[in-house]
This record gives sequence, structure tokens and C-alpha cells, in this order.
Amino acid sequence: MFVARRMKKKIVTAAPSASLFEAQRQMREHTIRQIPVVSEDGTLVGIVSDRDIRAAVLPTDMVPGFTIGEAEKFMKNTPVERVMTRKVVTATLSDTLEDAIVLLHDFRVNALPVVDAAGKVAGIITRTDVLEAFIDALGVGEISSRLEVVVPDMPGTLAQLTAIISSFHVNITSVLSTRHVDIGKRSNFFRVATLNVGPIRKAIEEAGFEILDPSKFLLP
Amino acid sequence: MKRVAWIYHPDYLLHSPPFEHPESPERLVAITDHLGKAGLIDRMVVVTPEYPEDTDILSVHDRDYLNRLETACRRGDLTLDSEDTYLNRHSFNVALLSAGGAISGAKAVAEGTADRAFCAIRPPGHHAGPDVGMGFCLLNNAAVAARYLQARHGVGKVLIVDWDVHHGNGTQNIFLEDPSVFYFSIHEHPTFLYPGTGRRWEIGKGKGEGTTLNAPMAPGAGDAEYRTTFEQTLEPAVERFRPEVILVSAGFDAHRDDPLADLMVTEEGFRFMTRHVVALANKFCGGKVVSILEGGYEPSSLTSCIEIHVRELLEE
Repeated sequence: MFVARRMKKKIVTAAPSASLFEAQRQMREHTIRQIPVVSEDGTLVGIVSDRDIRAAVLPTDMVPGFTIGEAEKFMKNTPVERVMTRKVVTATLSDTLEDAIVLLHDFRVNALPVVDAAGKVAGIITRTDVLEAFIDALGVGEISSRLEVVVPDMPGTLAQLTAIISSFHVNITSVLSTRHVDIGKRSNFFRVATLNVGPIRKAIEEAGFEILDPSKFLLP
Repeated sequence: MKRVAWIYHPDYLLHSPPFEHPESPERLVAITDHLGKAGLIDRMVVVTPEYPEDTDILSVHDRDYLNRLETACRRGDLTLDSEDTYLNRHSFNVALLSAGGAISGAKAVAEGTADRAFCAIRPPGHHAGPDVGMGFCLLNNAAVAARYLQARHGVGKVLIVDWDVHHGNGTQNIFLEDPSVFYFSIHEHPTFLYPGTGRRWEIGKGKGEGTTLNAPMAPGAGDAEYRTTFEQTLEPAVERFRPEVILVSAGFDAHRDDPLADLMVTEEGFRFMTRHVVALANKFCGGKVVSILEGGYEPSSLTSCIEIHVRELLEE
């Protein structure tokens, strides 16, 4: 899946000359934590976050005479270009969702402005968007039950399992296959659209696979 | 001894699966045999359920859904939407009579012909929503009974205690924004079990915020965890809400022998829960409890738990 499918396209941007006061107002209004800063032709020049603004404004009462009124005056007179991050970590329209996840993780940022080939902002993708994609991928919220099967790490096991599930005429709404703690094994998670998982579990066990009993791995 | 209404109809056996399925008429055969042999039915107030009025069903379900269900049965469809929820040509009528059974139990208690009621009905109801049947459920019996009490008997506030091991997503959705019906569900955690809803932060919406309460149980939880939840979570909520009637969506599939889930509740757990609900009812609503059968798929534990449940309702 590509970033373009999951990014927010209607986004709030700020001009470099916009004040910190205005940027903070926009963040509160739209419940967002960062705003891409763009030049007149839409080219990305920076990003300003609520943290950047907090760090730029001294806490009131810490300095004699620096009142709430003074802080507001400072914010109104300071353009975002003074505090914004100029080296922005961005995604491109052709990046995949995996690229975005790795970028967000490795660069420890909350959001990636998505830029087109001309360097213009086409959207933004945030950690929240990625979590949403993950919720979908896990099948959370779909009417279903969960099965967790430990299989030998070799070709063909997933196919065997899906064949067993399919013999019960039950839809699989999510599949996840990950490394298992034991070397040479994999964990396969299925969400299946049925209440009646007992017979499926039994058939999987009879085929020689290990079903994880959730009560065993939860209790200390 | 309290007067407990016994709601049952032989036609409940007509809704039978066209393929192997855990929700079968044999469940009710086992229950009636067992309670009969134990001499319990003789000590109950036998009430024959009637078909409900259209308006009572339409207080919960959409007309379009009823039409769809009726057509599917008449056409000979084997399932409704998913393989889980089977149909035969009797299913529409039996579903109506099942909801009618919940109404009959509520009526007996509301009119005082009985102090409490146990409705041995099927198909179960708590997964069914206004326009959808799922998870073996066609019509939401408990929701219909709650609405009936409000519409016909001037009842204001109803508490539904759902201890079926699965979350009653249908019931929750029906009353999500309704502050007059408090929905409490204790069930296996949605990450592990069908239907995948009933997380602890699902607490209702809008005006109904605060009158939905979910207690998901980790796999392996049993009597002790259930007891703590009833005493520390349910009880304070009931004290605040002050219901006028308590309905129980009584599933017995949290039992350790039940094949459909991973919990470890025993007969003693169901004894405790029944006793606790009865005590709450005695304290807040003149003892009025209407217990409505939901799940429970292992015959031996199903029948032994229901025997205990009924004995506790009788306070013999």
C-alpha cells in the first residue's frame, strides 16, 4: 500500500511569516500537533510543531515581568520560520506505507509531510494514520474470533491452515505471520468470521499443528 | 420460596440446524429433562409463551430486517449472512416465539404472577442488532423484553446483566445512546473471542454515556475474577443507576468445560452471580429478575449450571 492512499489530503499549512500565535490557534482548532510551512508556491520549507512553539516561548512567571500578556505579544510578533524545523523528514507520493512506518520510527518524528516530485506538499501522514492502518490490518473491530497457530517455519504450512479454515466455509478477515520465540517456528494469527471456532481449532490440532491456548501465555 | 416463572415452548425445538452446529434443539431438551428430573419445573409457575405483537418487535428491529428474515426462511435459505447463523423454514416463527418468551417472562414479573422468571428460549438473542442477525442470534430477546417493560408496564430504568461469555454487541448497540437501559457485560476479552467488541472503554455514547459497562476477562479467568468484577464494578454501577427491573442475558458458556471459549468459571461462579444479581434486585427493584437464556453449549455443565441458577432464583 502506498502512502498516498492513507495520507490526509486536506491539510493545514502555514506561511513562513505566519505568527506562532496563529499556528498555535490552528493546531488547537484542528486538533493537530504540527503544521507544514510552505512558501507561496506550495514548496515545503519547514515544519512547526506544538513542541517547537512551547520551547520557543519562555514559561511565564519564570522571568520577572514576563506575563501572559507578554508571552502572547511575543507569539504574535514571532514568525514560524524562526522556530520551525528546516530539515524536514518527508515521504514522497510513491513511498509505501512500510516506508512511512520505518521513517516515523527511525527518525522519531510524529508526522511526515508528503511531497510531490516538485517538492510541493500533497498531504501529511502521521503516526495516527499508521495506527489506523494497523488496526485495519489486524482486523480489530470486525466481527470475528481469533486463532493463533504455531507452525514449523517451512513452506506450505500457511496454505494447509487456510485450507482447513476454508473447509468450514468461514471467511478469514485478517492473517498475520510472525517469528516465534522458538527458533524454527512461526506464529500465525488468524481472525475468522465465526463464533464457532471449536471445530476449526480441533481440525487444526488433528492436522498436527499447535494451537496456542491464550490462557497459558497470559498468566504470569 | 419465591415464585419463579418457567417459560418454555415445544416449538423452540423446531429451529434446528441443517448441518452440525453447537446451538441445537438438544440444548433445550437437555435443560427440560434435567430440570424436570430434579423436580424443579413442578415448583415453578409454568407460563406458555405467546407470539409477540408486531409493535413489540418493531421497538427493537427494523421492519426491513424482519421482512428479510421471513423471506430467507420461506425461500429455504440455510443461513443468514454468515455460516454461523443458520435458518430453516421454522426459524422466523421460532425467533418470534423466542422473543415472545422473553416478553412472557417480563410480563409475569411485571404483573406479579411470579417474582422472577427463567426463560428457556432459543434461538438466543444478544448478538442480534436492529437490522442484523449474527452469532446464532436472529432477534434480540433481552432488548425486546426491556422495551416491552418500558412501553407496556411503565418501567423507567432497566438493567441488563449479560454474563454470556461472548460480548452482546447487538444489545450494546441497541442501547448505546439510551440512558434508560443500563447494559453490563462480562465476557472473554475481545482480542481472543467473538465478536471482537466489548472493550473496557466502550461506555455508551451521547446521552447513553455511562450506561454501558464492559468487563472483558483475560483467557483463563474464573470464579475469583468474576466475583471481584461483580462486587467492585457491577455493584457500584447498579447503586448509581437504581434499576426498576433486572434482566439477565444468561449464557453459561463461560464454564470451564464449554468448548467455545477459554474461561474457567464453575458451577459455583454461576451460583455466586445469580445470588449477587438476586441480592441487587432485592435491594433496588423489589426482587424483579427476568433471566433469559443465551449461550451454553456443553450439555452437562449447561444443565448443572441452570439447575443452580434456578434454585438460586427460587431461594428455596
